[in-house]
Amino acid sequence: MKYDLAIIGAGPAGYVAAKKAGGAGLKVLLVEGKKLGGVCLNEGCVPSKTLLQAAKTYHHALHGEVFGVEVSDVRFNFEKANAHKTKVMDGMREGIAGLMKKRKVEVAFGKATLSEGRKVTIDGETHEAANILICTGSSPTRPPIPGIDGDNVVDSTGILQLEQLPKSLVVVGGGVIGCEFACFFGSVGVPVTVLEALPEICPTLDPDLAKILRGELAKKNINFHVGAKVEEISESEVKYSVNDESQVAQGDLVLVATGRRPNVENLGLDDLRVDYDERGGIKVDDRCATNVPGVWAAGDVTGRAQLAHAASRMAEVVVHNITGREDRMRYDTIPSVVYTSPEVAVVGLTKEQAEERGLQVTTGKIPMSINARYLAEHPGERGLCKVVIEEGTRRLLGVHMVGGACSEMIFGAATMLETELREEEIDEIVFPHPTTSEVIKDVFMAVR
Amino acid sequence: MATPVIMPRLGQSVEDCILAEWKVAPGARVEEGTVLAVIETDKASFDLESTAAGTVLELFWEEGDDVPVLANVVAVGEEGEDASDLRPQKETAAPPPAVEAAQVPVTSSDASAPMAPVAVSPGGSSEAGVSPRARKLALHSGIDPETIQGTGPGGRVIERDVEAVLAGRPRLSASAAAAAREGGLEPPNHGKGLAGMALAGDMLEPGAIEGAEVEPVKGIRKLIAERMMQSLSNTAQFTLNSTFDATAIQNYRKRKREEMEDSGGPKITLNDLIAHALIQTLKRHPALNAHFLGDRIARFEEVHLGVAVDTPRGLMVPVLRSVCSKSLEELSVGIKELVKSCLEGTVLPDQLSGGTFTLTNLGMLGIDHFTPVINPPEAAILGVGGISLRPVRGKDGEFTPAECITLSLTIDHQAVDGAPAARFLKDLVDTLENYPGEDAGQKNGEETT
Repeated sequence: MKYDLAIIGAGPAGYVAAKKAGGAGLKVLLVEGKKLGGVCLNEGCVPSKTLLQAAKTYHHALHGEVFGVEVSDVRFNFEKANAHKTKVMDGMREGIAGLMKKRKVEVAFGKATLSEGRKVTIDGETHEAANILICTGSSPTRPPIPGIDGDNVVDSTGILQLEQLPKSLVVVGGGVIGCEFACFFGSVGVPVTVLEALPEICPTLDPDLAKILRGELAKKNINFHVGAKVEEISESEVKYSVNDESQVAQGDLVLVATGRRPNVENLGLDDLRVDYDERGGIKVDDRCATNVPGVWAAGDVTGRAQLAHAASRMAEVVVHNITGREDRMRYDTIPSVVYTSPEVAVVGLTKEQAEERGLQVTTGKIPMSINARYLAEHPGERGLCKVVIEEGTRRLLGVHMVGGACSEMIFGAATMLETELREEEIDEIVFPHPTTSEVIKDVFMAVR
Repeated sequence: MATPVIMPRLGQSVEDCILAEWKVAPGARVEEGTVLAVIETDKASFDLESTAAGTVLELFWEEGDDVPVLANVVAVGEEGEDASDLRPQKETAAPPPAVEAAQVPVTSSDASAPMAPVAVSPGGSSEAGVSPRARKLALHSGIDPETIQGTGPGGRVIERDVEAVLAGRPRLSASAAAAAREGGLEPPNHGKGLAGMALAGDMLEPGAIEGAEVEPVKGIRKLIAERMMQSLSNTAQFTLNSTFDATAIQNYRKRKREEMEDSGGPKITLNDLIAHALIQTLKRHPALNAHFLGDRIARFEEVHLGVAVDTPRGLMVPVLRSVCSKSLEELSVGIKELVKSCLEGTVLPDQLSGGTFTLTNLGMLGIDHFTPVINPPEAAILGVGGISLRPVRGKDGEFTPAECITLSLTIDHQAVDGAPAARFLKDLVDTLENYPGEDAGQKNGEETT
């Protein structure tokens, strides 16, 4: 069978590409080895956000008295939370399957092997395609720590299969994934210890934000140890050292969340002669084209911007370029979010990144607590909004927020960055009052 | 007291210099020797150094002006001093010639819109004016309405004309529009932003070309361009190629090198030896050592040898004067000194003119043979290629490999015919293959055998 586009992997890159390409009238084959939706829907973003909402609701029930809501006998039922999670995932998967059908995308389940001449073999059947999009995602890394293969050790996939809450949890790795799970388990009453090797959690964030996030999470039963080098995992504890001083963290479950690596093995990529980059991902240009004509890659498999929405955008760029519309990735304007409570949402450059590029910048920051809506809804919580502006042109370069549900308003900042708005233009935009989003307007008063 | 820095006289034949580029601005602190500007003669460009210390009070000329020698160029003195007394008297400049409008067709993507012929012409629309609506739209879109060719009454720029320009351009981001308004930058055909929106980083300097580094043609490059075109359009160039067996000059060079190691003389190169043989041969062929002057041909008794030199600033051809009686060693030293002064930028304008024949060598860059371009009004130029192995039949009839070098002689057929040029080239080949020969041997104090 000959296709216009064969897509390997049905995650947020694959199904978005299939939907768009199918909509454009291309003959599309979508191959998936596990379940439609990929890691995002089945083992990542969606289930973890469902659980985090459960944790948030539980937290509100427990701490409603500040709003005059007094509830007694509050319990957290993990089984019911899991059931909700499963229901959400099933619903989303059905949605994708329906969409594929509507757009006349052929879906094949099985292991795909690629070979020269843009051929795809699934279960012994070989198809040809004018274009191949590789979007096989990534898998959790397993650092070489003694004891990592123990039954008490899980990765971000395994921890979502739990049927019972652990008595205590040690999280190895204080990045985004580690913090989100720490936030969930801490919020529902499980004592959590987070061990981060670097001097601060979430090291890609603006340092001011990371510090506030750590402080807020610490209020939820979470102990952070930064600069901690994990040495050994045993049945009930994790040995680590800080400044060469050995210490022990107790926990009957250990989550290893030290990053993800691109899924490039056993796909026949070497036969296709696809180039890799220094991070081990498939090397692509800003149109997501690989070095092999007609072979494209999107999402985590490229090792770039490991975010579901970045993967979807890359998939769009690929389909646009295949269908003759010039389009390219603009990584600088892709927002990223940490879905903890409080949330972290950022887009654009940090001061440090801007200066590395030789830009002259100035910054401004204000606490979220000067905002009426925020103060009303998040009493006692610290939050911050920080902007980075280019000196001279007064162009907005970055917006960095921690506090409340700021993930819902970061797209506004992304729009400002995409259209390269300057302070002067942003000044004329009307923000509804009272909303937390007003911090983005007000923060400019603090820019010096 | 304010002191003027004057335009130096860079050579007997130099009457004025072009002020190519200012290196200082009024208010700058300068010392004696600080570079104030780059100046150009018709042969090369030079740095104009300050002859006074203090603050730059006034620059009396604009870039591109032709400045007479000895005229005041800059006033240097105490900050705030009046330098108006030092202003040079300038001839009233004639109004600049009208600039031909560059016809840039802009395709409208809207098929129903009338296709307006759009041309960018500086100042072209000013007489008929710009309609208020057109002006408003143009300014909002970061376009200078004065640069648009109007299609309204009498060439007035109307809204439609601005729309036609916009249709051929991407939308601009807020920062890109600011860059157009404030920095005079121009949008590319397709931007890298949302749906092809032009971002600030996509904006181009006026005259810039996407995907290319564009620099103005000025300085030495401009001189080379003019002289090359002048050469090709005013002469009848004709190139002859021949190859010589370099065994004799290679052996001679080896011998000389060994001698020089003891005596500490100059390092003789193959180019020196070829130059030396060339001069000896030219003496026997005055028709090749000549200037073609249109209605006259000047054949020179003396050889003034131009040597093409590749410098970081471009090709330069310094001239070594009166070389007929120079020994190989004198020639070698003379060429080396000239090359060095070209590379260091200290060569004088008078050293860059007056040649009767030019030698150019691309052999060290692996070129076999090429077509040298004549340096007018000279009648000929010799190009030297690289060494390659060729079979040579010996006296016993056996083939042996020999190191050979190709010579490419370009002549101006207006001045010389092909056969005499070929005879010259054959004579040169014989001279090189039998080097040092009797003549040269005596000159260099060689024992003749």
